[in-house]
Amino acid sequence: MRFLSALAAAFLLSACSATPKGPEPGTLRMNIGAEPPSLDWGVTTDSTSFDVISNLQVGLTQYNGSLQCAPACAERWEVLDGGRRYVFHLRGDVLWSDGRRLKASDFEEAWKRLLDPRTGAQYAYYLYDIENAFAFNTGRIKSGDAVGVKALDDRTLEVRLKRPAAYFIYLTAFCPSYPIRKDVIDRWGDRWTEPEHIVTNGPFLLKDWKHEYKIELAANPLYFEGEPDLKKIKMFMVAEQSTAFALYENDELDYVDNRSFSTPDVERCRSSPQYHNVPLLRNNYIGFNVTRKPFDDRRVRLAFTQAVDRRVFPAILRRNELPAASWIPPQLPGYAPDSGPPYNPERARQLLAAAGYPAGAGFPVVELLYPNREDTRLVVEEIQDQLKRNLNVRIELVAQEWKVYLETLHRDPPPMFRNSWGADYPDPETFMNLFTTYNGNNSTRWSSSVYDRLIEAAEAEQDAGRRADLYRRADRLLCRQEAPIVCTYLSTQNLMVKPWVHGMEFNSLDIQFFKGVTVR
Amino acid sequence: MSSTVEQLSAQQPGGGEPPQPPAGQGLVPATWRRLKRITLSYASFWVIVFMIALSLLSWLGVPLSPYAYDQTTSATLSAPSAAHPMGTDELGRDLLARVIYGSRLSMMIGLTTALIALFFGTIYGAIAGYCGGRVDAILMRGVDVAYALPDLLVMILVGVLVGRGTGGILTALGLISWMGTARLVRAQFLQLKHEEFVEAARSCGQGPLALIFKHLLPNSIGPILVALTFIVPAAIISESTLSFIGLGLSPPACSWGTLASEGWRSLRTHPHLILFPSLFIFLTVLSFNFLGDGLRDALDPRTRLATRR
Amino acid sequence: MAWLVLRRALWAIPVLWVVATVTFILVRVVPGGPFDAEKNLPPGIVANIKAKYHLDRPVAEQYLLYLGRLSRGDLGVSYKYANRTVNDILSDAFPVSVQLGAMALAIAVLAGVPLGTVAAVRRGRLLDFACMTLSTVGISVPSFLVGALLIYLLGIWLKALPVALWESPRHMILPALTLSFLPCAYVARLTRASVLEVMQKDWVRTARSKGLSPAVTIVKHVLRNSLVPVVTILGPLTAVLITGSFTVEYIFAVPGMGRFFITAVINRDYDLIMATSLIFALILIVSNTLVDIAYTFLDPKIRLEH
Repeated sequence: MRFLSALAAAFLLSACSATPKGPEPGTLRMNIGAEPPSLDWGVTTDSTSFDVISNLQVGLTQYNGSLQCAPACAERWEVLDGGRRYVFHLRGDVLWSDGRRLKASDFEEAWKRLLDPRTGAQYAYYLYDIENAFAFNTGRIKSGDAVGVKALDDRTLEVRLKRPAAYFIYLTAFCPSYPIRKDVIDRWGDRWTEPEHIVTNGPFLLKDWKHEYKIELAANPLYFEGEPDLKKIKMFMVAEQSTAFALYENDELDYVDNRSFSTPDVERCRSSPQYHNVPLLRNNYIGFNVTRKPFDDRRVRLAFTQAVDRRVFPAILRRNELPAASWIPPQLPGYAPDSGPPYNPERARQLLAAAGYPAGAGFPVVELLYPNREDTRLVVEEIQDQLKRNLNVRIELVAQEWKVYLETLHRDPPPMFRNSWGADYPDPETFMNLFTTYNGNNSTRWSSSVYDRLIEAAEAEQDAGRRADLYRRADRLLCRQEAPIVCTYLSTQNLMVKPWVHGMEFNSLDIQFFKGVTVR
Repeated sequence: MSSTVEQLSAQQPGGGEPPQPPAGQGLVPATWRRLKRITLSYASFWVIVFMIALSLLSWLGVPLSPYAYDQTTSATLSAPSAAHPMGTDELGRDLLARVIYGSRLSMMIGLTTALIALFFGTIYGAIAGYCGGRVDAILMRGVDVAYALPDLLVMILVGVLVGRGTGGILTALGLISWMGTARLVRAQFLQLKHEEFVEAARSCGQGPLALIFKHLLPNSIGPILVALTFIVPAAIISESTLSFIGLGLSPPACSWGTLASEGWRSLRTHPHLILFPSLFIFLTVLSFNFLGDGLRDALDPRTRLATRR
Repeated sequence: MAWLVLRRALWAIPVLWVVATVTFILVRVVPGGPFDAEKNLPPGIVANIKAKYHLDRPVAEQYLLYLGRLSRGDLGVSYKYANRTVNDILSDAFPVSVQLGAMALAIAVLAGVPLGTVAAVRRGRLLDFACMTLSTVGISVPSFLVGALLIYLLGIWLKALPVALWESPRHMILPALTLSFLPCAYVARLTRASVLEVMQKDWVRTARSKGLSPAVTIVKHVLRNSLVPVVTILGPLTAVLITGSFTVEYIFAVPGMGRFFITAVINRDYDLIMATSLIFALILIVSNTLVDIAYTFLDPKIRLEH
């Protein structure tokens, strides 16, 4: 008892010495939710790492506000030979943080390192469109000399592709394609990403890295667009959303996004002037394994996709999600509002009856696999409920731990599964390629030569209008005519920004650049 | 995870000097009579009976609530009202119905895990404690190994092998909970087997089985029962921690634990989501603890006088 | 005593070996691998990664390679945190867990013992009921909820303490409190049981009949003798507390090592899983040995049989 009163006294005392609350001018405090697995942009693959790297390092191009590739290290480039050859002309004033000038060979070395089988880079396949890249990465040729990327001189980089690929330019804004300092990596090995060794060329420098806790960035005085106004960024790694949001409420964080914004908090704060909502290029779907009964029957799949009322998802998930019936999101070319199926339970019942299950009679209990994460649970429970009401079919929900789920999906997909896909770059290709016959992520096992040909033609097409049209036709085929998937909704980014933070920009790729931000 | 509680309960004190071997007959009625005198424990007993009855009735399909636990209504996230005394969840399901249904799984998980742990733990601990020496040393190192294996890995494996239903969770929780009981029983046996009454029984020519079942085990029953009242709540809480990590029951099945782990972030927006499941967990655990205290007193003749106030 | 320590040290080697072997098998049997990700990788790339980490070798060879490295004190590399070794990761995180665990332990003992004593002395009265109900809260409320409540009450509502993070000693109070809830409840119950028992002893009655005041009797005689079982459990309690707690670290953003018991498994970070098991086993062995030594001092009836 006495101890308890002592404890209470300690609380009261500490209340008097509470830390000053409010903005720290010139410093942005944010939460990245987790330890970045690696800051080596040749090795890492996850969004947490990319969020940090995007502010440390700059590539040939960078996204502008409308997600177009704007000049960065490359001041201009030419697309030659019908889209088979790219020549990039580098700026002469880009300096690395140790003062050395950026050279075209820094890109050549970066890309060859990414492709070198000994690096073991997971994202090497993003460069497979380059001549001989695949052969080098899979050991069919031993030397990287034949790979189609070459520094013609210090300021000119030439890239030869094995076929025209209209989306290629986006890869030059994607972290894995950023230049490296081979001498630094050779010198320090795996430890080159520690603050005391790393050399970068972006708006911010890696100042401090307390693993599993905090990363600090500082403005780079040598940055070629000029030293940013923002002097410091503190990136905390608070895993629990509600804790991070409490920090925001106590003025210890300057802005929060989904990583720090639990659904109850979104509900509570969505009418605040600090609240922002940005639809993301991440589409969520229920897939069918079309090699398994009863989903080998197109009519059953069409019945299911027309029996799902997508309008309820925002009400259940409560993060302002956008209902989606088509696979291409509205932000991208090729989107058409009528590509997806309409909600029509009556027609769905007819289709199911035509497939031999009148009023759901005789329909087997099918399994729906989903990863055990909070938001997905509500989605599948809702779909289970809707299908029962509209079609009188029983769905059994099977939750699996994340990695077990991934392995099941990649090896032996169940009749139904819940999945999602986030865009790597703002082009319909990143979505549409997924359901081609040989794509390793096509867990539906659906294969259509018509679809494959449409996608192949679109990838090579240089005319934007014709290309969009090809994708539109493919999207309609996928969602409305064949339905190996039931699209459900687009995820959104939910944010709160303190009034003292200015110049914050958000895009649907969910990459956040802080070089234009000020905190007063 | 559960290992914390298990390990702690393993260290329950031996109880100093053992009581006289209780008379074989009349143990249950006598204990019951004494228990009745400890008001708090007696009340706790009836709370537990009520909870078990609740879970049994819902199991037998007795409609205790006008709603089914998986029935959705349009009233999503409504606060407690006449129609929904505990409010509704995100999909508009009646929370009262879900709490009643949850009692089934929570009680089953708690009791079954405890029984599994008790059964294997007692056998294992009895062998170690009785044999002593090298056998004891080897068996106890086995317990160390079992403690050190990553619980989560074992659970994922069991989930894959047994399936993710209730059976999987029960097996998994049982598998990681028996070590505490084993250590406890072993410690009891080590202490008791040098007592005069055991030595006396041995010198009278009683065999090992007779010694274990007629003398050692009956005299260890107090601490074992107390441990049981620790394991039951620990299992209920472990299951909620499992849901917290994302390895809980498959929906729409739910337990108090899954309800609590799904509702806790709504503390400030929809407190009813967390309040009611937590209340039921708390009441049950509290009752188990008071019952455990009462049982120990009632089983221990030395404290008999003290309880008669 | 020296014999006991030596014997336990010798036992530790086979125990650690068995733990390493069984965990090694478990991590490879469990479905899902370290490089399964949302984006399924082309087979050529998977082959490159496996070659980089020697995962393309036969399992027996991987096992021998692992044991070889282990015997040199090298716990391996992390597949998830590509630039860090397991030794790096644990040497950063372990001291944090020790700090937090020690604080929680102190709170558990300093609050648990008085609570238990008061309950025992006032047995059957309202105060007993209150103390035991309070300690039951520690057992019956999941720690994520305790943490959330403390954050809300003390962090947001009263603004008395920092909500989370690991910056100053003041930041340690809430996580340490949350972590101490369960052991505190346990210590309280243990103390209560033990004090009750000691109070039955003849010599306590003698002391009372000699006219010593109840308070003096309790503090000077009963408590000293009742603390024996509490001291006894400090060993394993310490082991559990200093290896950290996933939930508490998760809720309060504390960079300790408890998280790796969960995240390493979720990421299938093989070497890190192995390391957490081995460290837990090692700490457990040490604390069990300490307990056994304490037993020989405190209760001669338990003979350590050789």
